[in-house]
Amino acid sequence: MKILIVDDSSTMRRIIGNVVQQLGVPKEDFDEAEDGVVAWDLCQKNKYDVILTDWNMPNMNGLELVKHIRSAGSQHIKTPTIMITTEGGKSEVITALKAGVNNYIVKPFNAPTLKEKLDPFFKK
Amino acid sequence: MSMTQEEIEALMNDTVTEENSADDLLAGIDGIVESSESEDINVDDMLAGIDGIVDDESEVKSEDVNVDDMLAGIDGIVDDESETKSEEVNIDDMLADIDGVTDNGNEKKDEAMLPLPSSKEHKIVNQLNEVAEDTEEKASQIFDVLSLILDENEKVTKSNDASKEFISSQIELLEKLSNKFPNIALLEENLKKAKEVEELTTLTTDIVNGENNKIFEAMEIMQYHDINRQKIERVMSVIRKLTQYLNGIFEDDSNKPEIQIAKHISGDGSQTVDEADIDSLISEFSTDK
Repeated sequence: MKILIVDDSSTMRRIIGNVVQQLGVPKEDFDEAEDGVVAWDLCQKNKYDVILTDWNMPNMNGLELVKHIRSAGSQHIKTPTIMITTEGGKSEVITALKAGVNNYIVKPFNAPTLKEKLDPFFKK
Repeated sequence: MSMTQEEIEALMNDTVTEENSADDLLAGIDGIVESSESEDINVDDMLAGIDGIVDDESEVKSEDVNVDDMLAGIDGIVDDESETKSEEVNIDDMLADIDGVTDNGNEKKDEAMLPLPSSKEHKIVNQLNEVAEDTEEKASQIFDVLSLILDENEKVTKSNDASKEFISSQIELLEKLSNKFPNIALLEENLKKAKEVEELTTLTTDIVNGENNKIFEAMEIMQYHDINRQKIERVMSVIRKLTQYLNGIFEDDSNKPEIQIAKHISGDGSQTVDEADIDSLISEFSTDK
């Protein structure tokens, strides 16, 4: 199970990484990216089973990244993608869903919430 | 107002094909507002969320009343205002008689005419940026410490588990021996002690697990660092927009060269000269020559 964690905050990447590790994913099996540009670059080089991305980031935001991921020709067109963000407005959730995210988590979240969202993908 | 995780769940369960269908769904959920509303509130919320920002006007008013009331209640305190005024007159007269003493108020006026300090440390956005970056670094360091404690706790758990395994085997052995040789008191005594140690290892496991849970809790709470950083970024964004707006208002696109400004204009105060002063100065200069 290969996971990509995308967040401009290193603290957030570590928090998410910690939960992912608690789920049994070794540290070597997840990559980190500090913005959409780096993430998209990694997506083109590697195949991920799950992508966890923030929304507000410099250079390329999470929404643009999701659009890239879901674009024709992308090897991650069907990869489960979860948006983890502080954006908690209704219109943002709808925008993200329309862009193609499979699930949406509002910060601050707790470990059980992320585990619950990730479980279905881990069971596959 | 933002959506809760439960509300997002509800939204996820419903296939959102059209925004209208989501509207219907969300209309039934308490606490969800249209983003236009939330945008209206954002700046207020934001300011309300910043510690120390209060409505100065009301505070000042209430302070005035409180201080007046307070002073009125204390014996021996009189209104110093009139006294101060007369003192001011005296000091002014006194200073006027001393050569070389200038009016500081005038200097302050001149200072106000100079451009404000614009070095990096005086720029608010820069300061906020520094705060955000510094807290990010410190949060990362805190995370390092917490991770280290987790790693060490894991080692403690492993050692404890090994001890527990050994003690359990010892208890098993002592129980067998004790049953076989019931007359040997030492076996019974050691069995009792081994059971006590086993309890201690269980207690240690519980304590370490509880500690780990608290560390995970602390790590979760550290998400507020990211949330607060984004709040700071929102404030920075407002300041940037305000700067652009104010620059737009005050900027001079006439391309006219800057004209030297007058230092003392008639009506400014006692620093300006009248005709008599001019005449006296002229005559003074004439006699000097």
